[in-house]
Amino acid sequence: MGLYLTIALRNLLQARRRTALLVSALAGVTMLLVLLMALSHGLTETMIRSATAVTSGHVNVAGFSKNKATDAWPVLHGVAALREQVAGLVPEAESLVVRDRAWAKVVSDRSSMYVSPTGVDIREEARLREAIVLAKEREYKKDGRDGVVGDLARLAEPRTAVVFAGQAKRLAVEVGDVLTVTAPTGAGRTNTVDVTVVAIAKDFGYLSSWVIFLPRQDVKDLYQYGDDTGSVIQIYLRDPAQSEIVMGRLREDLLGAGHELMDHEPNPFFFKFERVAGEDWTGQKLDLTVWSDEVSFLKWIVTALDALSFVLVGILMVIIAVGITNSMWIAVRERTREVGTVRAIGMRRRQVLTLFLVEALLLGLMGTLLGGALGAGLAVGLDAAHIHIETEAVQIVLLSDVLNLSVTPGQVLWSMAVFTLLTALSALGPAVRAARMQPVTAIHHAG
Amino acid sequence: MLRAIAALAVLPALAGLARAGGLDPAQTQAVVKELDDRQRNSGDYKAMVFLERKEKDKNDLVYQLVIYRRDQDDKLMMLFLKPKAEAGRGYLRIDKNLFMYDPTTGKWDRRTERERIGGTDSRRQDYDESRLAEEYAPTYVAEEALGQFKVHHIRLDAKKEADVAFPVMHVWVDQATGNLLKSQEHAQSGKLMRTSYYPKWERMFSKSKGADIYFPREMRIFDEVEKGNRTTIVIEKVDLNPLEANIFTKAWLEARSR
Repeated sequence: MGLYLTIALRNLLQARRRTALLVSALAGVTMLLVLLMALSHGLTETMIRSATAVTSGHVNVAGFSKNKATDAWPVLHGVAALREQVAGLVPEAESLVVRDRAWAKVVSDRSSMYVSPTGVDIREEARLREAIVLAKEREYKKDGRDGVVGDLARLAEPRTAVVFAGQAKRLAVEVGDVLTVTAPTGAGRTNTVDVTVVAIAKDFGYLSSWVIFLPRQDVKDLYQYGDDTGSVIQIYLRDPAQSEIVMGRLREDLLGAGHELMDHEPNPFFFKFERVAGEDWTGQKLDLTVWSDEVSFLKWIVTALDALSFVLVGILMVIIAVGITNSMWIAVRERTREVGTVRAIGMRRRQVLTLFLVEALLLGLMGTLLGGALGAGLAVGLDAAHIHIETEAVQIVLLSDVLNLSVTPGQVLWSMAVFTLLTALSALGPAVRAARMQPVTAIHHAG
Repeated sequence: MLRAIAALAVLPALAGLARAGGLDPAQTQAVVKELDDRQRNSGDYKAMVFLERKEKDKNDLVYQLVIYRRDQDDKLMMLFLKPKAEAGRGYLRIDKNLFMYDPTTGKWDRRTERERIGGTDSRRQDYDESRLAEEYAPTYVAEEALGQFKVHHIRLDAKKEADVAFPVMHVWVDQATGNLLKSQEHAQSGKLMRTSYYPKWERMFSKSKGADIYFPREMRIFDEVEKGNRTTIVIEKVDLNPLEANIFTKAWLEARSR
């Protein structure tokens, strides 16, 4: 093999310009693939981070209550006992929190919008406190101060609210302003609570465009729910990868414990109102989901990015394959007499084939190694730079106001393997032709 | 006819009591019941309605729709005619369920009784039969002056079982005519949600009732939470003749947009 490598390397060095061009092209597409995969992976990681901070646990025990068949209230009664039961059934849980979910209109002095006011007990929401970064005043207010105003801990006080910077801009509010939250109660009658904005958080992209946080009691007051109620028990696991397994086991355990469960539907709770209102039952049913179900409506972003990457890289792969095949044809043609000579002195067909394939593999390895290193370096650099995204539409799609890229060794190795293999496959045709040459014909080739 | 005569007889009596300084609970109940009775039509009802929505920072919107009612069976249907983008859209109330039809998708959606019609501040009950006496318990507040009109100010608290959007209402009823001139609706929290004015009332003879019925020609609804938003409803071409028997069906409404 050492001999093959030496010959292949010499051949590549002999045609320096062609080798440099092909290595550059291969490095370019490998780098692009690594960057696109890093963006997709970064987006997925951001989605998990955002979802599990803003709207969901790794596993969620939620449900609906119906006093009459046409109701669909996202509320669980007897939530304290249920929480205890769930905590006992999921030893893998790192923490559990109970939240209240709602859908209401918030009205400021200047504007209004529909949001999902989420009732939280900020004292027990360690993850939320970690995930939420307060925005500087200038991020939501023209001529605002270059510092943070407000205090997330004040969300423990009654009649308070934490909103996100994009919402604050749209509602034209700042810390200290009052918002009226209005929704129908459980009995269907209009109700309101007036809340004071105590903190304004940095945006989380799309998720933060429709969620605001209130103290749990404020959401209960809005809906006139009793004390021992809640909308969802969010379970945070030590290993999020176990989410599906834990949910499956918890379903069986809760069914065995006598609870009624809804069929699993991988969608967030607000997609289920119409279905539940159309079902002919009354009482309470639990609904178990995992984090990815609660952001299923965002999967299209990752799918679209992956599809775009696939199409883009696919086109580039075809171009690269044609280029490499062409170059190898030229190499074979240029070295026909050389092939005839080595065949005449005893080199076998298979050895000739191997020689050309090793040359292509070496070329591919050089290009993809360079591209992989460049791509990984660039991804790490861009991620570390925390590039701020100004355009709101892009923020919504990327679920963050900074560019997040996440590169793993597996991604780099996979990209390198794909393009190295492609190079070898592209060289297969010319290599087979070279191997099939008759030594006499090849020696007499005019070149 | 007898009811009309009774109504005419009650009004001066109520006016006399008002002059004496307020009404007792039975008389207050009678005023509210009279408000309902004057508007109630035992037969069918059809009206052309213009709905204007003004919201701050948004373009004004005007809708034209037809309202069909069969109060005897609690049936109500609304069919949007204009603008073109909304034509064919409709609401249908069947057995206390309100459904909305979207002709662009051909789908029916069940909506709550609290649906804001056409996204305006108007609700289903603004177009429906008045059921104040049935749904609310009245309390006399005071005799007041509303501009040049002397009015009864009455507070209405929703009865426990009543399916209403606003748990508390205040109404101002003209002492001289018995017409509703102003109403205010409050949320459960006590917050004032909207104020409505009824500046024009008309009456017409209903064959099925055998007496006159009264309807507001115009309603002006002001959003008290989102200050600056208001909705005006103008009712024209009221027709009390019997409607087709099978008109209150999903199929009939769907057929209008084909």
